Amino acid sequence: MKHDHKITAGIMAITLLVTLPIPCGVMAQTPISTTEPGDIPVSTDTDVVTEELAQATDEVATEPQITPTSTDEESANTEALIDSKISLTKPLIPSGSYPVDISNWKCEDCAFEEGYSGEVELGVGNVSDKSFKFGEYNGLNEDGAFGIVNGNARYRDEDANFMNLSVQDLGLDSRSIEFDAGRQGSYKVFFSYDEISHAISENVLTPYIGNGGANLTLPATWVNASSTSGMTALASSLQNYEVELQRKRMDLGFSINQSSNWKYDIKFRHETREGAKRSAGAFFFNAAQLIEPVDYVTDEIDASVSYVGKHWQATLAYYGSFFSNDNKSLTWEDAFTPLVVGADTGERALPPDNLFHQLILSAGYQITDKTRISGDISVGRMEQDEDFLSPTTNTNLIVPALPRTSLDAQVDTLHGNIRVISAISEKFRFNADFNYFDHDNQTPQSQYTWVSTDDFVNTTRTNQPYSYTRQEFKVGGDYYFTGKTKLAAGVDFDSMERTLQEADKTDETTAWGKLIIRGFKFMDMTFKLSQAERDVSNYQVVPEIDPPQNPILTKYNMADRSRMTAGATINAMPNETLSLGVGIDYAKDDYSESTVGLVDAKEINLNADVSALLTEQSSVHAYVGQERIESNQNGSAGSVPTWFAKNEDRVNSVGIGYKHRLMEDQLDVGVDYVISKSTGKIHITSSASENFPDLEVDLSSIKLYADYRLKDNMSVHAAYWYESYDTRNWALDDVNTDTISNVLSFGEVTPSYDVSVITVSLRYKF
Amino acid sequence: MFFITPPYNAVARKMINTFKHIALVFLLWFSGEVVVAVAQENAESVAGTAISIQAGKFTEKGADTCIKCHDEDEAYPVFDIFKTKHGQKGDKRSPFASLQCEACHGPGVAGAEAMQEVLDQGGHVGKVRPGQKRPPILNFGIKSDEPVETQNTSCLGCHQDSKHIDWLGSAHGGGNIACASCHTIHIAEDPILKKRTQPEVCFSCHKKERAEFYKASAHPIRFGEMGCSECHAPHGSASGGVLIKTTLNQTCYTCHAEKRGPFLWEHAPVSEDCSLCHSPHGSMHTSLLIKRAPLMCQQCHSQFGHPRVAFTPAGLPGGTASGFMLSNACMNCHVQVHGSNHPSGVKLMR
Repeated sequence: MKHDHKITAGIMAITLLVTLPIPCGVMAQTPISTTEPGDIPVSTDTDVVTEELAQATDEVATEPQITPTSTDEESANTEALIDSKISLTKPLIPSGSYPVDISNWKCEDCAFEEGYSGEVELGVGNVSDKSFKFGEYNGLNEDGAFGIVNGNARYRDEDANFMNLSVQDLGLDSRSIEFDAGRQGSYKVFFSYDEISHAISENVLTPYIGNGGANLTLPATWVNASSTSGMTALASSLQNYEVELQRKRMDLGFSINQSSNWKYDIKFRHETREGAKRSAGAFFFNAAQLIEPVDYVTDEIDASVSYVGKHWQATLAYYGSFFSNDNKSLTWEDAFTPLVVGADTGERALPPDNLFHQLILSAGYQITDKTRISGDISVGRMEQDEDFLSPTTNTNLIVPALPRTSLDAQVDTLHGNIRVISAISEKFRFNADFNYFDHDNQTPQSQYTWVSTDDFVNTTRTNQPYSYTRQEFKVGGDYYFTGKTKLAAGVDFDSMERTLQEADKTDETTAWGKLIIRGFKFMDMTFKLSQAERDVSNYQVVPEIDPPQNPILTKYNMADRSRMTAGATINAMPNETLSLGVGIDYAKDDYSESTVGLVDAKEINLNADVSALLTEQSSVHAYVGQERIESNQNGSAGSVPTWFAKNEDRVNSVGIGYKHRLMEDQLDVGVDYVISKSTGKIHITSSASENFPDLEVDLSSIKLYADYRLKDNMSVHAAYWYESYDTRNWALDDVNTDTISNVLSFGEVTPSYDVSVITVSLRYKF
Repeated sequence: MFFITPPYNAVARKMINTFKHIALVFLLWFSGEVVVAVAQENAESVAGTAISIQAGKFTEKGADTCIKCHDEDEAYPVFDIFKTKHGQKGDKRSPFASLQCEACHGPGVAGAEAMQEVLDQGGHVGKVRPGQKRPPILNFGIKSDEPVETQNTSCLGCHQDSKHIDWLGSAHGGGNIACASCHTIHIAEDPILKKRTQPEVCFSCHKKERAEFYKASAHPIRFGEMGCSECHAPHGSASGGVLIKTTLNQTCYTCHAEKRGPFLWEHAPVSEDCSLCHSPHGSMHTSLLIKRAPLMCQQCHSQFGHPRVAFTPAGLPGGTASGFMLSNACMNCHVQVHGSNHPSGVKLMR
């Protein structure tokens, strides 16, 4: 190991000398923001730019003016002056001002599109086997034939009037339609309809009646028992239920460009979700898996007015989201022998109606040619005031009156961001970024006498409306060695304050660096590295939590943490026909001060890609990747850690694709093959050291396709898609409805399938 | 630390050590190469060698000059630009209402002359061959010789608008990503603007995510039912992770508004950050969870009673099947993990 560390240290030292890598990677345990401090183009001299061009540079979308630099034709074409270097915003060719006389630019060979055009695809397909997992989202969850209806149509005219219509998968439950029309540059109306089916499970077994509704009952013959093995009527009562959701979304909106400066946009969205999902309900220590009804409606409004000026841009926007649920609760009969008299029916709250308003102002201002400032400020409010359900359905219990009839919940949000970027010199750019986010929970606190699963009346508990305030300050700089090679580095400060939780405040400082090299010996390269330290002040157990938390546990989002990330990406294009790429990303979290809870986590990603044009008619691409996610956590039944668990997830993936043109380009054929293999290992040490059975997910997917051109505007498309999927999941494997004595389970079988889909369709262009 | 150490067997350990040595040698070689290359490029820059498109002449006929060669039969066809917004002469903002091809590609005389020269010598101009210099005209995309800033500045001349306020300084804008690395404008439908074709474009760089969407639990990206831009704002935003809304949670609520609450009994990490428990791009564990329950929950819960107990394989079927581990594990009872509005829901069971 010593030897390994020396090598590692040597590599790190060299890496630091040559590069200065970057911040962010995404950890599985506590994801890191992927936003990287930005940089900006070098701003340099503007000496060569004529006065007219300089003035026109900042004009955006203004009326075009022909401003030849000379009336002499030769001079006009010879002396067109373009700023060869770069500023923050200066375009190479400023819009709105022509440096030449274009009156002779007839564009006679230009194929401006006018009239209608489009493409229609009609065909049939067949799914070999029914599989909810295969058809989880794509609408192919049932076996049998289906229709293929796709198409798009366009209209254009010389006055910039346009219309677009697109339909996709009309023959399936997951289908979409999009339409927009208007005059380009003036206005646009649009409409879309999108439907996604979510096939959740096809083999749920339940004795309950009324599935899909809000009131679940047991058959009259049901025999309650203290454990599932005693439920003698279970086998005869079981029925299969297919758990599905259907999401339907409609968008309607329009936008208007009042002038070159002002733009107005408004969009309405109406979305419904109907169906059911898996759920459960418990009476003290006995539980039953239940089907929960879903009947949601979400309406959204996005409205904005934007101004684009000479040096600045601004948008004032409103966002509203209104959620409603047609079912306020789910009631179910207890399948077990009630623990107390009257506790034979439970009632659970379902998601309450809620709403969110937000007003957002975004603006960017070009202070000078080299310095830009931009920012956003938004204020929002979340509200929820659904009437409370009764604390219990057990009429034998005497429960004090609720302190309120509804929560009157309110959270005020405030977000501010300001960002400055400046080209200090031709070589160096500076950027600074400040973010403020406040989640101020104004929900009134009250004492609630609560009933434990309709069995017992407890003492009171006070609701905990958590608030958060986060402040981030980032400062960094880019040094350009050349136009294509830069070193970026910076420091980020992240402060998070919480109320009513274990830690009042956490402070994290991240130092990061990144080296980007482009066009070096046909290669683009990026190296990055970051180191972050998070300090927590005054972590202590929250007294309101009952039973109290083990005082030696530290929650990982509020724990002292050292985080290191590193990464490298190299892409090479040795010639016009070959490209290669390799990448590695590594991230490690150490919670060295944590005794119980998460103590460390790391993630490593490796990938390699190649794509090549083999001939003028054929190309191939392939990739391999591996992801490893590991973590260690400790648990304790006392004052020192008494058990230790290690999680290791590994995902290997391979993909290969090949395309070929045959028969004098009349026939296109291709194949795409993907393998994804996941393995999850869990090792636990308590009284003994034991391994859980591996969790496994194996997916193989192959798609073959051919497209034969009958005529210039007509082709036949055929495709074959075969997918194989197999899983091992100890949480479900061999768990029948009565396997667990105190949980009446669905007895689901882990998904496994071999499905093939064949399609044949005719494509016609007009 | 840089290279992970826990191999699972001797062969793997040997392979990793070999890889480390190769990496060390490569980095040593590479260090020298970079220093030399940077010095050379700096020297050229100081000497005044600027980018290829400086001070040039515009053509006399505009697009007709270009199109006589770049026709529909060209290996890289450009004619479909006339099916796009850029190829619309009726919109005064469109390039083809003004300087046509040269509005974006810069003055074309030098390029045309260079091409003609090659043609006169009997050369082939359909493709730039290895070792052959590109014609002096502004090209776009990952194969372009032009600095990314030069390419992007051309686009920003028109597109520095309200939808790109955050571009400069954003993850992509600040990461030296060319607009044309993602956008393809010479075809009727830019793949990145369609949700079915968009992910493939994103995956050309975001390779980790490409693999994640094949995991057992994932958003339906791979089926084309969802695009990356339903969550992400690739031109920059004020949020971390370039999300479409101000925070991660607000972004999630656009599709999962039922999780918004605020609830009477909140689960603190839920209202703080969905990704404390969920891995949004995909997970091998159910419901995009980062880890298998009950261990996931036990990272933060060690109260008296069952939360602090070690659950071992003894609780699997064949042993004493445990409701704490099997089926929905902790969520067999604590089903309201996203919060409960029931007066008796403090334990997230009602």
